Amino acid sequence: MTLSSTTDRHPEGWTEAERVAALRAYGVLHTAPEVEFDDVVALAARICDAPTALISLVDSDTQWFMARVGLEACETSRDVSFCDHAMRESGVMVVPDATLDPRFADNALVTGDLGIRFYAGAPLVSAEGLPLGALCIIDYRPRPEGLTDLQTRALTVLARQVISQLELRKALSKAVLAAEERHQVDTDLAETAAALHESEARFRAIADSMPQMVWSTLPDGFHDYYNARWYEFTGVAEGSTDGEGWNAIFHPEDQARAWGAWERSLATGDLYEIEYRLRRADGVYRWTLGRAEPIRNEAGEIVRWFGTCTDIDDLKRVEQNKDLLSQELSHRIKNIFAVVSALVGLSARQYPEARAFAAAFRDRIGALARAHEFVRPHSEVSRPTVGGMTLHAFLDALFRPYADESGAARVIVSGDDALFDDQAATSVALLFHELATNAAKYGALSAPGGNVELTTALAGDRFVLTWTEGGGPPVSGAPERSGFGSSLATVSVEGQLGGRLERLWRPSGLRVVADLPASALSRRRAAGNVRSPT
Amino acid sequence: MSARILIIEDEALVAMELRFVLEDLGYEVVGSAADARTARNLVKENEVDLALVDIHLSDGPTGIELGRTLAHEDGVTVLYMTANPGMVRDGVAGTIGVLSKPTEERAVFKAVDYALRRRKGEPVEYAPPELQLFA
Repeated sequence: MTLSSTTDRHPEGWTEAERVAALRAYGVLHTAPEVEFDDVVALAARICDAPTALISLVDSDTQWFMARVGLEACETSRDVSFCDHAMRESGVMVVPDATLDPRFADNALVTGDLGIRFYAGAPLVSAEGLPLGALCIIDYRPRPEGLTDLQTRALTVLARQVISQLELRKALSKAVLAAEERHQVDTDLAETAAALHESEARFRAIADSMPQMVWSTLPDGFHDYYNARWYEFTGVAEGSTDGEGWNAIFHPEDQARAWGAWERSLATGDLYEIEYRLRRADGVYRWTLGRAEPIRNEAGEIVRWFGTCTDIDDLKRVEQNKDLLSQELSHRIKNIFAVVSALVGLSARQYPEARAFAAAFRDRIGALARAHEFVRPHSEVSRPTVGGMTLHAFLDALFRPYADESGAARVIVSGDDALFDDQAATSVALLFHELATNAAKYGALSAPGGNVELTTALAGDRFVLTWTEGGGPPVSGAPERSGFGSSLATVSVEGQLGGRLERLWRPSGLRVVADLPASALSRRRAAGNVRSPT
Repeated sequence: MSARILIIEDEALVAMELRFVLEDLGYEVVGSAADARTARNLVKENEVDLALVDIHLSDGPTGIELGRTLAHEDGVTVLYMTANPGMVRDGVAGTIGVLSKPTEERAVFKAVDYALRRRKGEPVEYAPPELQLFA
């Protein structure tokens, strides 16, 4: 007998693979003997007056006897199985003399020691119509007369009973499995709930021990959790700030702003960060930093917001004190310049011959004072009234006295602007004060219609200032003796600022070029940059 | 008759020097006050045309309010003189403007001259550049 392939479809519509799967689904193969099946084979043997009766289940390569009487073996290979044939018959298959049946004449069970001669088997077919095996009786002498009607009917009925029992068992095991599954699910659920509970307990322990206030909200912004610190600080009743109640604890002036920021974060999912005043239990408002970030699920949707409130009141006070101190300092410095200038004037009254000297001196002090106005740090009230805090703004203020009667500037400033710090302020002030004073005495500013073009340019790592006079009295060459004013400018540029100063006595007007390192004007900041690499 | 000027300044040396400068220029200096109350008393007892007002006085930053009062209630022309012009950044209604300390003589002369011309209702085309005018 050849085994058919597992995927060929039999005329009845089933494949070997489906048949074997159906058999295995009963879960009875190679299981322990059961009294119900033992009873069946015993009865079959008695009714058919046979020494051997079997319930045989035909697996892919073997046949296994679920119950047997009168046979030692509990399984054989499939290729010698009579039941393999019987199960495909529509009724009881009878083999009166196996030696005379071409199907079984060469079968080892026939020719060998066992010596089967007579076989009768009723097919065992599943409810879906898949052959599973057979209920059979075997004799070792041929029976040409076959089975009686009663015996045939009995085998058929008993075969049906076997199937019934098998179906029952399948249904039962399914139910048991389902119950087991349900039990497993319940157990899993209980475990997960316990784990969640523990995790939450752990979170609360951490949150309650943090020095900051911690809070959490639903995705729509409904506050549903605050840690112990929040309640300690605010003194509010537990749960009283749930939902939107938090806003009322803020300073009235900060409420709208905070609400706006929170709404924006809720809408965009962006970080929430804002400084506001929070009311402490004793009624005192303390500056607080509020920060919150969203938590997202795998799909990227926000499922919760976690936030903190950090008391920054002391920090804010320090900031405010720093500002006040800066203001104080700035005011004092300016006052000192005013007092010194007055002293010079008063002193000069006692020495009339020094009047010119005193005037020049006071001029220079005035320039220094002006320069320092443009140096940081400044608060809103201490800074100059108009313009920025830059070189050009300073130059504009310095040259304002040289404007003509209509108010038009006579020193025209253009080019790249720059910041300058206190280290450079004195040098910058003195340089331009000298240039302007000399121009007013001897140069372009001494004649109506004369003016100066001052251009500043940043070129790579150099900062170049070019002062060009024009429209003044004709220049006849370099002066014989350099006045003190010239060398003061030289010392400032070449000494203090580390640059080069060049004077060109052009016939049309003096040109002075100051070539400085770009960092010269803000040396403090340049040094700071070197010290702190980013 | 020369204009009568009141100096309101808490630094004695600065006030003294300013008085000399103004007297050299031909003005009459009525007095010098270091705080708001002294200033108001001086104004009640004397005729004052122009007041040069510092902002930080010995009784605090009372100069701004003082200047406003002198202008509105006492009919005095007010010029602020201060090292912190930023404090009157937005101007003070009824007053002329502000000079930055330390001042030079020429700037003081031009500013005082301008202010007195305005008081007399004389036409003035240009204000001195050192004087930051209030609108």
